[in-house]
Amino acid sequence: MPPSIHPVDLISALRQKHLTPAIVFLTSRRACDEAMEAFDHANCVLPTTRQEAIAKALEQVMARHPSIAEHPLISIVQRIGVAAHHAGHLPTWKIAIEELMRQGHLDAVFATTTLAAGVDFPARTVVITQSSIRKSRDFTDLTAGEVQQIAGRAGRRGKDHVGFAVITPSPYIDLSVLTKGLTGQPEAIDSQFTISYPMVLNLLKAHPHEHIQGILAKSFAQFQLNQRADVLEQKLDALHIKMEPFGPRVCTDWITQWHTFDHARRHRHTRHPTYRAEPPEISARLPFLTPGRVVGFSRGRGIVLRQYRSKGQRNSMLTVLRPENAVTECPVTSVKELYDHIYDCPETSAYPWCSTDTFDRLSHQLDELPLRLPLLPILVSSNSEPLPDAIVQSLEDFSCPTCPSRSACQKDFLTASRLRQEQQRHTKSIQALRTSLWHRFQERVEVLQKFGYLTLTTQLTAEGEWARLIRIDHSLLITELIRAEAFTGADPSLLAGILASLAHDDDRPGAFPRISPGLSSLLGQVRKLAESLSPYEDPPLLRADVAALVERWVADQTITWIGLCRLTTMAEGDIYRLLARSLEYLSQVQTLKGTHPGLAESASQAITAIRRGVLEELP
Amino acid sequence: MFHEKDMTTDELEQLLAQQPVAVLHRLARGRVQRHFRAGKRRLIELLLQHSSQNRAGFESDLLTLIGERQAPSPSGASRNPGTPPIAHKRVAIRSSDLEPSEPPISLSEWLQGIGVPTPQPFVQDPWQIEALAAVSETDVVISVPTGSGKTYVAIEAAGRAMADNRSVIYTSPLKALSNTKYAEFSKIFGADKVGILTGDRQENGQAPLLVMTTEILRNLLYDAASGEIDVRLDTLGLVILDESQYLADPERGVVWEETIIFCPSQARLLLLSASIGNPQDIADWLTSIRATPCRLVRHSKRTVPLRAGYLHPNGRLTPLFRTLGIPQGHPGHLHPEAKHLFIEYEEETLPSGRPRR
Ligand SMILES: Nc1ncnc2c1ncn2[C@@H]1O[C@H](COP(=O)(O)OP(=O)(O)OP(=O)(O)O)[C@@H](O)[C@H]1O
Ligand SMILES: [Mg+2]
Repeated sequence: MPPSIHPVDLISALRQKHLTPAIVFLTSRRACDEAMEAFDHANCVLPTTRQEAIAKALEQVMARHPSIAEHPLISIVQRIGVAAHHAGHLPTWKIAIEELMRQGHLDAVFATTTLAAGVDFPARTVVITQSSIRKSRDFTDLTAGEVQQIAGRAGRRGKDHVGFAVITPSPYIDLSVLTKGLTGQPEAIDSQFTISYPMVLNLLKAHPHEHIQGILAKSFAQFQLNQRADVLEQKLDALHIKMEPFGPRVCTDWITQWHTFDHARRHRHTRHPTYRAEPPEISARLPFLTPGRVVGFSRGRGIVLRQYRSKGQRNSMLTVLRPENAVTECPVTSVKELYDHIYDCPETSAYPWCSTDTFDRLSHQLDELPLRLPLLPILVSSNSEPLPDAIVQSLEDFSCPTCPSRSACQKDFLTASRLRQEQQRHTKSIQALRTSLWHRFQERVEVLQKFGYLTLTTQLTAEGEWARLIRIDHSLLITELIRAEAFTGADPSLLAGILASLAHDDDRPGAFPRISPGLSSLLGQVRKLAESLSPYEDPPLLRADVAALVERWVADQTITWIGLCRLTTMAEGDIYRLLARSLEYLSQVQTLKGTHPGLAESASQAITAIRRGVLEELP
Repeated sequence: MFHEKDMTTDELEQLLAQQPVAVLHRLARGRVQRHFRAGKRRLIELLLQHSSQNRAGFESDLLTLIGERQAPSPSGASRNPGTPPIAHKRVAIRSSDLEPSEPPISLSEWLQGIGVPTPQPFVQDPWQIEALAAVSETDVVISVPTGSGKTYVAIEAAGRAMADNRSVIYTSPLKALSNTKYAEFSKIFGADKVGILTGDRQENGQAPLLVMTTEILRNLLYDAASGEIDVRLDTLGLVILDESQYLADPERGVVWEETIIFCPSQARLLLLSASIGNPQDIADWLTSIRATPCRLVRHSKRTVPLRAGYLHPNGRLTPLFRTLGIPQGHPGHLHPEAKHLFIEYEEETLPSGRPRR
C-alpha cells in the first residue's frame, strides 16, 4: 500500500461521493506542485462545457491581470478543473484561482496550510493530510486554532447544507493532534508584545518620559501580566493568614534570628564557607529555582528537584528532572529560561529529593507540558541582600539559649521560614510582573542613548528625530548605516539591493546571480556593522543572491519578469514578495526627504524602477 | 449527545438545571454581571434572559462546557482551566473517555444531506444584529467561527459610519486580503468611496473608507501622535481590525496591540476574529483601556454544520467519529472503522522501533 493516496485517486474518490469542490492541504509547496504533475496524463478530463466556462472566467481575470496569461498551469486547470495555490505563485495567479473557486468552476485546489488563514476561499470539503507544519525550519504540531481554521473552510454558507473535513493519512501524521484540534477549544491568545527601538523613539517623540509607563500599562501584555500578578496577590493574602501564628515573639524577626543562631550553632567548629558572590542576574534567579519549577535549557526543558551548594562549584547547583526520567545535576547558570509554571513538589531528604509518587507525576507532567509557556519576569537588583550565612556572629551574641520562646521557635522555624520564603518569592514575582515592561523599555532607552538617538534626559536628538521614521525590522542597523554614510552617492540599484537583503528573512535557497563588485563590497560593510550591532539587534540574513537579484531588476530596465525568474531558483511568488518587501523598506527610507534628500531621492528612483510589469498590477 | 438541532427553551432550562453550579458560573462569565452573587435558580433565570440575545452562541458554549466536564483530561489537576488539552501521543487511539452506547453512524447516514440549499432571502443572524447595534455605541469584539459572516457586519457598520459623515479604516494582516476587500468594498460602495494605502502607494487616499494593512495604520497613528497627520483622524469613526487573532502572532502581534492602544478615543474599534480561546480577556482588556466598556459577541456554533471523515489511502471512506457531527470535547469518540483503518496504516508505515518523528 502506498504511504498516502495518489492525488488522481483522491480527486476521483471525492468526485464520486459528491464531495467537491475541495481544498486539499498538503505539507509543502513541492507536494502541491507534484500533485499537479500527477494529473499530466490522467484521463479525468472535464466535459467541454465546463472547460469552456473555466476558459471564459480566466479570460476575465486576465483582462485585469495580464501576467497570468502565460502561466504554465493554465492548460491543466482548464482540462481537469484542479489547481495549486501556494506562496510560490504570483499573487495575481492566486487571485485567479480564488476567483475560479468562488465561481464554482474548480473541483479541487491543492494548497499549503500556511495559506489557511485569511484567504477568502471556501469549499464543500477540506482534505487534511498532515498534523504538523513547517514553522521556521522546524516542524510543529498544528494548534487547535489552526486545525479549526483549516477545517473551517469546509461548508460554504448558502451553497452547502453541510461541510466535510476529511483526513487522509500521510507518513508521520499524528491523528490525535487532529481529533483533539477538531473537538477542542482553540488556544487562548497570549500577548506577544515586544519593545522595539522605533517604538521607543516614537513614544518619546509624542509623550513625556513620565507618561510612558502608563502607556505601556495599556498593552494587552500588561493586562495579562496583571492577571498573573493578581493570582499571586491572592496567594500572598492566603500566606499572610498562614503566617499569623508566627508573628513577632521575643524578637521581632525571630525567624532570621533563629536561622542565624541555628547556623552558628551547627558550624561552630567548621570554618565559615565563603561563597563567591554570584552575579546579580544569577542571584536574582535563585529564589525562584525551587523544587517544582519548570525551567528551559539550551536543549529541552526540565523540572527543578532541589537547589544546593557544592564545594567544588562556583555557582549554586540544581538537581533537575529531564525528559525520560533522567535526573541531572547542573549549575544554575545553565538554566536558559525560567517559566511561570510550578508544580507541587515537596522536597525530601534523599535522592531523588521527592517522593516516588511525586517523581512519577512530575515526569508525566513534564511530557505533557504545553509548547508555549509564559516566562517568569525577574527583576535584577544590583544590591542583592547578603546571605544570612555570610553574617559572622559568635554564639555568645545570641540570647536564644535562655529565651522563654526558645522551644516554640525551634518547633516552628521550618514551617515559618518556608512560608516566609514563599512570601518573599511571591512579592518579588509580583513586583517583576508589574514592572517588567517598563524595565524592558528602559533597557532600550539606554541603548538608544548610547548610540546618540536620545539625550540623557530622554529627548530625541536630531538623529532620533529622523530615525523614528524607520519602523521596520533591523531599524537600528539601517539607521546606523545611514549615519555611517554607507549609502552616500550609492546608485538606486545598490540601495535597493542592500535593503532587499535586509528585508528578506527566508532561508529557502536560491541560485547565485552575478553580483556587482560595488554591491559586494557594500554588503561586506553591512555585514560587519550588523555583526557589531548584534548585542543590540538580531542580525539579518543578508543574502547576497537576493541583493543581486533586486539590484539587477532595478538597474536593468530591459530585463523581463521571466528573465529575472531565470536568474534564480527562487519561486516566482518568493521573488515577488522579495520585491514587495524591498518596496516597503525603500518607502520608509523615502520618508527621510527632510534630512537626507539625496538618499530619499535615490529611494524614490528605486521605487519607480521596481514598479513595472507584474509589480504594477496590484496596489 | 451532539445536537445539530436547536433546543427549545424548556429543554435548555432543564439542561441548565442539571448542571452543577460551577458550570453555570463559567457560562455566566462575561454574560451576567456579578453572577457570583446569584444562587442557582436566579443564575438560571439570568442566563435564560441573556440567552435570548445570542441563543446559538449560548447553546454551543453550554454544550462545550458539558463536553469538557464529561471528558476530564488525564492530568487535569495541574492544568489551567483556560488552556486546551495538550497533545498526548495516541490518546485518541487509546480512547481515554467512555464510549457512548449508541451505535456508530453509518457512511450513508454520514453522506446524507450533501447538496446546495435552495436560495433564501438574506436574513441577518441574531449575533450580526447584536454586533451592529453594539458597534454604534461602543467597541466590539467578535469571536465567531470561520465563514460565519463577519464581513457582513464590517460592511454594514462601515456603511452606517460613512452615512454619518465619519471615515472608516479597515485593516487586514495580509496584502492579498486587503486587495480582495478593496475590490469587494469598491463594488459595494462605489470606487470613489474606497481607497487603499500600502507602504509606497496610495490609491484614492482621501476616500472615506480606507483599506490598509495593520502596520500601515500603526504608522499613521504614530504620525498622528507626533503631529504629522496624513489622514483626517479627527473624523475617524470606525476602525475595523479583521483577522485580529493575529494578536497572537509572534512577530507581528505587537502591531495589533500598538494599533489598539493608540486608536483615537472617538473612533469605535471593531475586532473581527475567528474563534479564539479567550475572547473575554480581549474584551476585558479593551474595557480597561478605552472610554466605553467593550462588547463581546461570540459563539462557537458553525453556521454550516461540519462532519469529519477518514479516507484510507486505498480509497475507502468512513466517518471519523462515531457521531454525525464533531463530538465536542470527545477526541476519543472515533468511529471503530476509522480507528481500525488508521491502526493498520500506522503498522504498515511505521516499522517497529522507528520513532514517530
Ligand atoms: N446572515 C446571513 N445569511 C446568509 N448568508 C450570510 C449571512 N451573513 C453572511 N453570509 C454569507 O456567509 C459567507 C461567509 O461570510 P464571511 O466571508 O464574512 O465569513 P467570515 O466570518 O469573515 O469568515 P472568515 O473567518 O473565513 O474570514 C459569505 O458568503 C456571506 O455572504
Ligand atoms: Mg473574514
